[in-house]
Amino acid sequence: MRIKIYTIALGLLLSFIGQAQEVEYTEYDLDNGLHVILHQDNTAPVVTTSVMYHVGGKDRTEGRTGFAHFFEHLLFEGTKNIERGKWFEIVSSNGGQNNANTSQDRTYYYEVFPSNNLELGLWMESERMLHPVIDQTGVDTQQEVVKEEKRLRYDNSPYGQFLPVLGKNLFDKHPYKDPNIGYMKDLDAATLEDVKAYNKKYYVPNNAVLVVAGDIDIEKTKKMIKDYFGPIPKGEDIVRKYPVEKPITTQRTATAYDPNIQIPATGLAYRTPGFKQRDSYVLQMISTYLSDGKSSKLYKKMVDEQKQALQVGAFSIPQEDYGMYLVFAIPLNNTDLGTLISEMEEEVAKVRTELISERDYQKLQNKFENNFVNSNSSVQGIASSLATNYLLYGDTSLINEEIEIYRSITREEIKKVAEKYLKPNQSVIINYLPGEKPAN
Amino acid sequence: MKRLFIVLFVFTIVKTQAQVDRTQMPEPGPAPEINLKDAQRFELDNGLKVLVVENHKLPRVSAQLTIDNNPIAEGDKAGVASLLSSLLGNGSKNISKDEFNEEIDFLGARLSFGSQSAFASSLSKYFPRVLELMADAAINPNFTEEEFEKEKTKIITGLKSEEKDVKAISSRVQRALAYGAKHPYGEFTTEETVNNVKLADVRNFYDSYFAPTNAYLIIIGDINFEEAKELVEKNFKPWTKRTVPSFGYSTPKDVQYTQINFVDVPNAVQSEITVENLVNLKMSDPDYLAALVANQILGGGGEARLFLNLREDKGYTYGSYSSIGNDKYAPSRFRAFASVRNAVTDSSVVEILNEIDKITSKPVTEEELKNTKAKYIGNFVLALERPETIAQYALNIETENLQKDFYKTYLEKINAITVEDVQKAAQKYFSSKNARIVVVGKGSEVLENLEKTKFNGKELSIFYYDKYANKVDKPDYSAETPTDVTAAQVLENYFKAIGGKDKLKDVSSVYMLAEAAFNGATLGLVSKVTTKNQSLIEVSFGGMTAQKIVFDGTQGYVMAQGQRMDYDEKQIEAAKAEAHPFAELKVENPTLEKVEPYEGGKAYAVKLSDKKTAYFDTESGLKVKETTVQEQQGQKITVTTNYSDYQEVKGIKFPFTITQALGPQNIDFKVKEIKINEGVSDEDFK
Repeated sequence: MRIKIYTIALGLLLSFIGQAQEVEYTEYDLDNGLHVILHQDNTAPVVTTSVMYHVGGKDRTEGRTGFAHFFEHLLFEGTKNIERGKWFEIVSSNGGQNNANTSQDRTYYYEVFPSNNLELGLWMESERMLHPVIDQTGVDTQQEVVKEEKRLRYDNSPYGQFLPVLGKNLFDKHPYKDPNIGYMKDLDAATLEDVKAYNKKYYVPNNAVLVVAGDIDIEKTKKMIKDYFGPIPKGEDIVRKYPVEKPITTQRTATAYDPNIQIPATGLAYRTPGFKQRDSYVLQMISTYLSDGKSSKLYKKMVDEQKQALQVGAFSIPQEDYGMYLVFAIPLNNTDLGTLISEMEEEVAKVRTELISERDYQKLQNKFENNFVNSNSSVQGIASSLATNYLLYGDTSLINEEIEIYRSITREEIKKVAEKYLKPNQSVIINYLPGEKPAN
Repeated sequence: MKRLFIVLFVFTIVKTQAQVDRTQMPEPGPAPEINLKDAQRFELDNGLKVLVVENHKLPRVSAQLTIDNNPIAEGDKAGVASLLSSLLGNGSKNISKDEFNEEIDFLGARLSFGSQSAFASSLSKYFPRVLELMADAAINPNFTEEEFEKEKTKIITGLKSEEKDVKAISSRVQRALAYGAKHPYGEFTTEETVNNVKLADVRNFYDSYFAPTNAYLIIIGDINFEEAKELVEKNFKPWTKRTVPSFGYSTPKDVQYTQINFVDVPNAVQSEITVENLVNLKMSDPDYLAALVANQILGGGGEARLFLNLREDKGYTYGSYSSIGNDKYAPSRFRAFASVRNAVTDSSVVEILNEIDKITSKPVTEEELKNTKAKYIGNFVLALERPETIAQYALNIETENLQKDFYKTYLEKINAITVEDVQKAAQKYFSSKNARIVVVGKGSEVLENLEKTKFNGKELSIFYYDKYANKVDKPDYSAETPTDVTAAQVLENYFKAIGGKDKLKDVSSVYMLAEAAFNGATLGLVSKVTTKNQSLIEVSFGGMTAQKIVFDGTQGYVMAQGQRMDYDEKQIEAAKAEAHPFAELKVENPTLEKVEPYEGGKAYAVKLSDKKTAYFDTESGLKVKETTVQEQQGQKITVTTNYSDYQEVKGIKFPFTITQALGPQNIDFKVKEIKINEGVSDEDFK
């Protein structure tokens, strides 16, 4: 059997340079600074129209957290030409689907329509950018809706507080310390004036990218884009200057409570560099090495062989200024949380001190190639990647070339990066326990 | 020449649309042409049917194996199928588990198994080997005792963790009541049935049902038909043909009249309401699409009636929806449901029934129908992007006995649906007259109103069930105050039961040390209480003090996480009344509320103060439970403490197990030590 596997491995090496699927696209700027990316794919009569704004949870002043996410809600309220409350009906009664999401770094809106409704999608997004209706009624309504969303997603959902807890414990000064959805008191304190000023500052064409992907005709689409988006006035340039964090140098332990869980979780959290950095890619590889698949180091040891964990995982949470990195486990059979931590640290330590095996390295390369192929499988996914690559990574061509970065990462580099960021004294131990926080 | 023409054409368009009028919503262009490809098909001698959908857009291939057997009853070994799915895909007789997992990961592939299904995907260049591994694991599984025991533990842990889960209970009871607990669709897995399963049963299940006879393999992606055929033939030929046993089951029936089926779950903070009835609906039925449209209008999403009524209008719930199933083997179910807060349980039942009544008795509006059609058409078009869709359609045509052109004429069929068709389908498939209304919730809070629920002028009957759908008597919350005994007598009996008032009077202080296992660490509890109104409670976690609550008779404070918070007026007053080794001795106006069942029998509920109620066993007289209402950030929370395992210390009985409910789980404090009149000094309360 060994011999058999070995020969297969050789075969794989030879066929390593696979045929990558090139995503073709056109990009240009409108006079008002709106960057436009078009991707034509006529295989199915479907089109995605999407706008990504470079504004997220971190773009706020102290005491006004959660503004970007709140805005995501507000900007569905209506526009000068789209009656309040009609947005979803227009989309669905035209056979489309739409949604939006907000991270700490950006906000993304999109519609997917049968391709004969391309113009409708462009009209809607241009309406949103040109003249959304922002009034007290909308602010009041969405304040309530966001609170419900917070209850559902965070307060009432098992392990829902984990991400906010990570941010709180990994950052002191940088806005990443606060939850993306914000604090209720900040939302309540928001005045209509604040809200309008925020809109004027961030939701402008020069802070956004428009992507149209799918069953389109490039020239006709360009024309429509000029018609609908051309007249939108350019905004002020945006300057971002966020505090720089001091490195974490001694290990701390933090405890958090969640009444919605029955089984606790524990994890090692680290602060890592922003996602544009090459090291961030290396850390992604380390997560895969540690916990992706039944043969991965942590899964095989802790779930399969030692039966200590119900679940174990290593996650890299990429962000623009700093990333967050988490290695976590959920115990099986009441395994002590401290035991889980030392078992996890043992595997992380091996990455810091030893080179991963040639075979594991090859395995990683295969996994990343597979991910790369799958990442471009839907037009909607391609649209989102094009927007992200341009707006946040500053390089649209990553859609085809990101795989080259992974291919160029060496075993030595993996060891070096683990040693640089994943030492015990750089970590925070997070114990995430069932129950209410003890009453004060 | 042709090119020139196109340029001219574009130019004209530009000309005529030089200005857009953004005050008008753009009209859709001509409907896109839909190009629905067929799947290619072949069959192996062993009965395996193979569908291939070529799609060379990306260099990847997937394989989905589906075995379309008759429903299987697992009986007193329920869980055997689930165990089989966990045990499959862990290597084969030819390759060890570790080597198998290693190779799948090495190839960057995905592979998973169900009890009668399997799925694999990978880059096209590795697909031949991945399919080989999948076939090998499917045809030559290596069942081992070790894996079997491990998976059994996991299943049982899973069952335990959802014991109090209202949603899980509701789903189990709904199915068991609709079909009967012996029907394959009504049966459920318990710890007992899992423990009945032996490895041999898993093997037996596999031998009987994991057979190629009714199996379909769907290959999608960057592979040529001929190549796929060759690969499948090579790998799946060894799969032995065998006859799959098939059993008939009694046909379930709806209830004679609409009724509430109630399950009491005391920890519920929301009621799960499901109105359900059986439907005989197959995809091949001529009114299948009309039934889907009717359901969509009633409860298919955020624009549907149930949602608009129960959430947007009434604010009873975060969402209310409905669903309709289809099944060629047995009846499926129509369900309309919502999770609602306790106080509006009865009103929500009525609103859901009203909506069902309305859609069956009145035609839907043209606007509703138009928008719903547009949504279906859009979904159909958008789904075409995924090659899986074409495969799924091909499979449905085969297994659901559909017309060959079912999907090619799908849009025409949707467009042809009329308001009358929708109403007819609603009348045929949705019932407000023969429905079960399964309500799972906290009886003591919701039953009183639920019993009075009227629908169309008639009171709805209620039948009671336990968590496993067994019929039970109505839970006894008899609000009637017992007349044969008074509150004072209950307390007297209690004092007698723990040693007598005389003995209690000699107690000036009580020291208690208790411990509980909590999340892998030890939770410690020290309590010191004196007759001088002094009290101290110290909670430690993993040896570190986590919280300290101190009251010296006049002043008090809470220390938690290094922060001190002094008592306010109200808290001081409450503490004065509470701080005593036997606080009941100080109660002035107790009121006897009712007799209530608890885990160990029946108990008198005696209200000691506005915020505190204690429960005393009607037989032993001992205090078995206490509930305290606490206010936290403006919200009232009831904290329940249970007392059991009474043991004597110097002639006085103390509970040696104190159980505190914390969210969904209980913390059992075991008392390690109790000292009377020693181990306590004034210093402790500083």
